[in-house]
Order: sequence, then structure tokens, then C-alpha cells
Amino acid sequence: MRGGGGMIGRTLVVGAVGLTIALPACSTAGSSVPSCEREGNETVLAAQAVPSATLIPCVDSLPAGWTFAGSRSTNGLAEFWLDSDRAGIRALSVTLTSTCDTSRAVEITAAAPRPGVRIFEEPLSLPPHFQADRFATFPGGCVTYRFRFTTDAPATVALEVDQGLGFVTRERVAGAVRRLGLTLCGAGAPPCPG
Amino acid sequence: MLGLFVVILVGLGLSESLGGMLERWEARQLAGLAELRTGWLTQAMLAVNLLASRWTIRTVRWGTILALIAVRRWRHLLLFLGSLFAAELIAYQLSIGITRPRPLGVVILAPWNGYSMPSRPVAGLAATGIGIAYALVVPGRPRAVAKWTTGVVVGMLVFARLYLGVDHPTDDLFGMIIGVSIPLVAFRWFAPNDVFPVSYRRGKAAHLDVGGRRGQAIREAVRDQIGLEVLEIKPVGLEGSGGSTPLRLKVAATDDEPERYLFAKLYAKNHVRADRWYKLGRSILYGALEDETPFGTVRRFVEYEDYTLRLLRDAGIPTPAPFGIVEITPEREYMILMEFFAGAVEIGESEVDDGVISDGLAVIRAFWDAGLAHRDIKPANLMVRDGKVLVIDVFFVQVRPSPWRQAVDLANMMLVLAVKTDAERVYRRALEYFTPEEIAEAFAAARGVASPTQLRSVLKSDGRDLVNEFRAMAPPRAPISIQRWSLRRVVLTFEVLIGALIVLSLLVSNWAVFA
Repeated sequence: MRGGGGMIGRTLVVGAVGLTIALPACSTAGSSVPSCEREGNETVLAAQAVPSATLIPCVDSLPAGWTFAGSRSTNGLAEFWLDSDRAGIRALSVTLTSTCDTSRAVEITAAAPRPGVRIFEEPLSLPPHFQADRFATFPGGCVTYRFRFTTDAPATVALEVDQGLGFVTRERVAGAVRRLGLTLCGAGAPPCPG
Repeated sequence: MLGLFVVILVGLGLSESLGGMLERWEARQLAGLAELRTGWLTQAMLAVNLLASRWTIRTVRWGTILALIAVRRWRHLLLFLGSLFAAELIAYQLSIGITRPRPLGVVILAPWNGYSMPSRPVAGLAATGIGIAYALVVPGRPRAVAKWTTGVVVGMLVFARLYLGVDHPTDDLFGMIIGVSIPLVAFRWFAPNDVFPVSYRRGKAAHLDVGGRRGQAIREAVRDQIGLEVLEIKPVGLEGSGGSTPLRLKVAATDDEPERYLFAKLYAKNHVRADRWYKLGRSILYGALEDETPFGTVRRFVEYEDYTLRLLRDAGIPTPAPFGIVEITPEREYMILMEFFAGAVEIGESEVDDGVISDGLAVIRAFWDAGLAHRDIKPANLMVRDGKVLVIDVFFVQVRPSPWRQAVDLANMMLVLAVKTDAERVYRRALEYFTPEEIAEAFAAARGVASPTQLRSVLKSDGRDLVNEFRAMAPPRAPISIQRWSLRRVVLTFEVLIGALIVLSLLVSNWAVFA
């Protein structure tokens, strides 16, 4: 009886420790969503990644079936990606860089979401496995939207998610940082040391 | 220290005003440092920052891994890899949990990746340096030098990263704490110096160093607890022993006895752990072959061996006379003392005639008649003196063993004797003590791991197929399976598989972080 209890206890401990360790490793999402509602640390980090960018891409409210899956920022690049229950895993990645190559894309004038932003599109393949690149260029930066559907979802799914994405201005992020008594270096900010 | 730092961090996180104050203070320090920037110094700092580059760290780590493989130090290799993985994983998970941006208010001059706290490059370099110091460098002055070198190198990296504005001071401090503490605790806990010393001399991992403070403690303990003066401590028979540290003690003459030798076995907590893992492995691989319940403490270890020595002596089996138990460090290290068979030689180095064969077989008969099994019959545990076989290392003795285990003892003894003579001669002598059916059962049971590793290795180098020679002489008997299935075995196997899967999934999901 005692041995059995010990065995069950050990199994529970192994399971609990395993889950405790494994769960965070599986969840890169959560608090790291770059929300358009607030100027969180993930948005500040994205602004630091591309100091010249005057706009930072963010997530407004995702349509049903789309989920935030992960993000990464490194000097020169900030990226997040979304999964879709219809279009597949990492169906869309959104990447902020200082420049991008739009030479093979076509400008869609009517699609500009705000003044100063130009939208370019480069369709790569039609459904099944819809693939396209969309570029939003603006002073100091470029956001590339890579649609890579791994299922036979229609291209209209891309339009749905488009509605859930937006921009936050660097000025707004810098203002939030300034309220903490700090300075976000880069476009629009006074010269920083170094 | 790590715990204290986490508490401070949580406190700062909970208190916005405190956190803000720290942020502003750190920003001021970094801004002050940025004022010092000059062209040549920046170039120098960028060069120093290459210490944290992926390729530098990879090269050093792969070099260490290859060196550890070359010197076959598997425990240290496992700990090195495990502590690096843990340090990288913890640093990464904390960074995405804390989500601290890079320093604000200064221009960042060096490449960076992800959130800043804790500093993953600093944690990675520190863990690598400390790991090398404990896995490859011998304890003492060389290890101290290695640790100081790591400190200087990591210190240079920290200064460079602060100068370049890529980390906050607290990021680097936190990174250093993670990078130093994890391998330090891992090596000190799982491969303590005195039990698993890094040495480039030959020796077994389970053997304790008996010089220095431990040697002094042994002398004092034997004097105080047994009343004997130890003149010399010498490790003996290390090749044949993996579960303890066997010693020969020279003790001073007393009123009743002249100066003489005693045999001693030193046990420590690592032997308890090794026994636990050994039995767990056996339970998974073979099931409940026999009693696989592990010992809970070192004290139980020596108590059991002392008991078996007395039991065998009472049964008339030629084993060393027990001299008692000595406590070296309470609950951590104990030593059992027994008679030293002066003038006896290991059976493998002795001449084996018909008398020795008969005596060896009679010993097994005595075990059977007393309802006991030795369970570790091999050349290293059989001594010969004046044509008589003496049995040592009775730690594995089992009372009322299964017939299978007793049969295995017989087969192992016959094999040991046949290696020095021939199978037919041993078989003929065995018939004086055992029936042909009993011998047939012995060789039906003696399969694979039923024989100790040393005996299997001796048989292999002998070249003859002695097992089959015995089987051919004995009546036909179907082989006895050593596989036993039970709920316990299934649950244990399940636990180990789940553990392995978790480790594997962690490795796969964090490979980029680790590699």
C-alpha cells in the first residue's frame, strides 16, 4: 500500500514538474501581444528594434479563428505572427523593418489606412495554398504582411484579418515612455547620448 | 542569492514607483557611460562583445563537449549539458515573462535579440565558463584560476554591453546570477568534488578520495568508536568494486593483537543514490526479478552489510569477521570494518585445483542450505588462501531468495572455476554437491545480466563458450526468462518515458535557445 502511494505521488510530482516546465516553453504568446490599445513593453521593444520607424504595427481585435502565436524583436527587425483555424499555423507574419523591396509589388492606392502610408501587394499563389505579400511603407519604416495559407482557405480570410491589425504611432509610444521619465530614442526624439 | 534577487525583482515589479526609480537610475548610469564613447573604445567594446556571439559560445561549448567525451567523463558531460540547457531555458523564459525593453535614453550600438532582462548572452557565457571549471578543471588552485578567469571574462563582457547600451546593469547582474548559480549548484549537488573528483588519473567514479580531511576523519572515527589506531589507509581492489570505496587499513598493535590489516568499505550518500538508480534501471529493464527496494539512507547500507556478515559467519560460510560500523559524518558517510584476508589472492590470480573447485562448490551448497544467495559471485569476490575459497563483498546477500537467484549463484561459481580449469572438470565435481537437474536449472537461469559484468567480461576474453559447454553436459532444460511484468514495472516505465518525453520536447521546443 505504501509503495503504491509513493509511486502515485512520484508520478504526480513528475507530471506536475514536467507541466510546470513545459507549459511556459509552449506559450510564447500571452502577455507579448503588441496591442493597439496600450503601449506595452512589446511595442516599446519593436520601436527600439527599428528606431527610424514612425509607425509600429499592432493587433487591434482579431476576428474569430485568428490567434496571436508569437513574436520576436531583434535589432533591425520586429515581427509577430498569427495562427488561423482555417488558414493554418503561422498563416500571417507581420514584420517591421526600416526598408523593404516593393519593386515586384503593385501599389493599391485605395487601401492606404492613414495619410503617409502606401500599400503595395504582391500575389504569389492563389488558393489552394494562397500566398501573398503586402507592404505598408511609411516614413522610416516598412511593414511586410506575409500571408502563407497552408490549407485551401479562400483569400477572403486574409481580408478578415486585415481588419484586426493596425498601427500605433511612435509619437504615442514615446509619450508613454516619457511619462516614466525616460526617452525612447529614434525618429522624432531629441538626440540621445552616443 | 538567486531567490533574493527574484524577491527584489518581484518587489520592484509590484511597486511601479520603485520600478520606475530603478529604470531612471539605470538610464542615468548608461547615459553617463555613453558620454565616454569614443571611436577606438567603441571598436574595442564591439570586439569584446563578440565573446557573447553565438559562434564564440558554440565553439567553446562544442570544444568542452568533445573534451568530456574524450576523457569519458559522462556524468560531468550530462551535468554540463543539463546546466547549460537549464540556464538558457530559465533565462529565456524569464525574459519573455518580464518583457523588459532594451535600455532607453541611449543609442544601442551592438546587436541584440529579444527582451533585455536577464541578459541571455551573459547568462550563457557565465554558465559555460563555470561549467568548464567544474567539468574539466581539477579542484583546487587550477579550478580557482578557471573561476576567476570566467569572472574576468564575464566582467569584461558586462562592461562592454553596458558601454554599448545593449543591457541594463541589472540585466547583466541577473544573467550572471543565473549563469553562475545553475551550473554551480548542479555540479556541487550531483558531482561533488570529494565523490566525483575531476582527475586525469585512472579510477572509478564511485570511489571517494581518502586523503586530506576525510583521511583524518577516518583515523579519528576508528580511534574513538572502535578503539584502534589507524597507521595507514590504502584503497584496494578498486577495479572490482563500483558501489563503495574499498580500503585496507593498517592498525597499530593492541594488548591482544599485533599490528595488522583490516578491510573497510566506505559508503556515502552517492552510493545510496547509485543503488536507487541501479535498482530503478533493473526494475524497468527486467521487472521484479528479485527484491529491488532501494535503501533509504547510508546508515541502512552499512547496517545491512554488517548484518549479512554476521549471518554468513553464523551459517559457517567463510566470510570476513565483522569489526563493526564507524560513523564518519552522521547520515552522510559510514564505514564498515571487517577482517582482512591476509595472504589470500583473488581466484583469478590463484591456482585452481580440484580442492579449490570442490571448496567453491561447497560454498554455494552452504548458501543454498542456509537459504541464502550471494547474488554477486564473480572473480573479484572470491579469494583463495591455503586452497580454501573465501567469499567477500556480501552486500547483495539475500535471505530466502528465489530458486532462480540461487541457481544463478551456482552457475556463476561454476563459470568462475571453469575459466581457470575446464567445464568438464568442474561439472564432474559439481555432481558431488548438486543433482544434474539443479545444474541444468542453473544454466537455464544464467542468461545475460544474471552474471555480473566482471564475470561476463572474463568469459568473453576467455574465448571458450563455457556456458554452452555446461548446458551440453547437463540434462536438457528450457531457458528461464528473466523478464517479469507487474503494474509497478509498467508505471515506472511510463514515468521514465514521460520524463524522457518532457526533456525531449523541451529540447526540441527550445533548441534555438539552447544551440
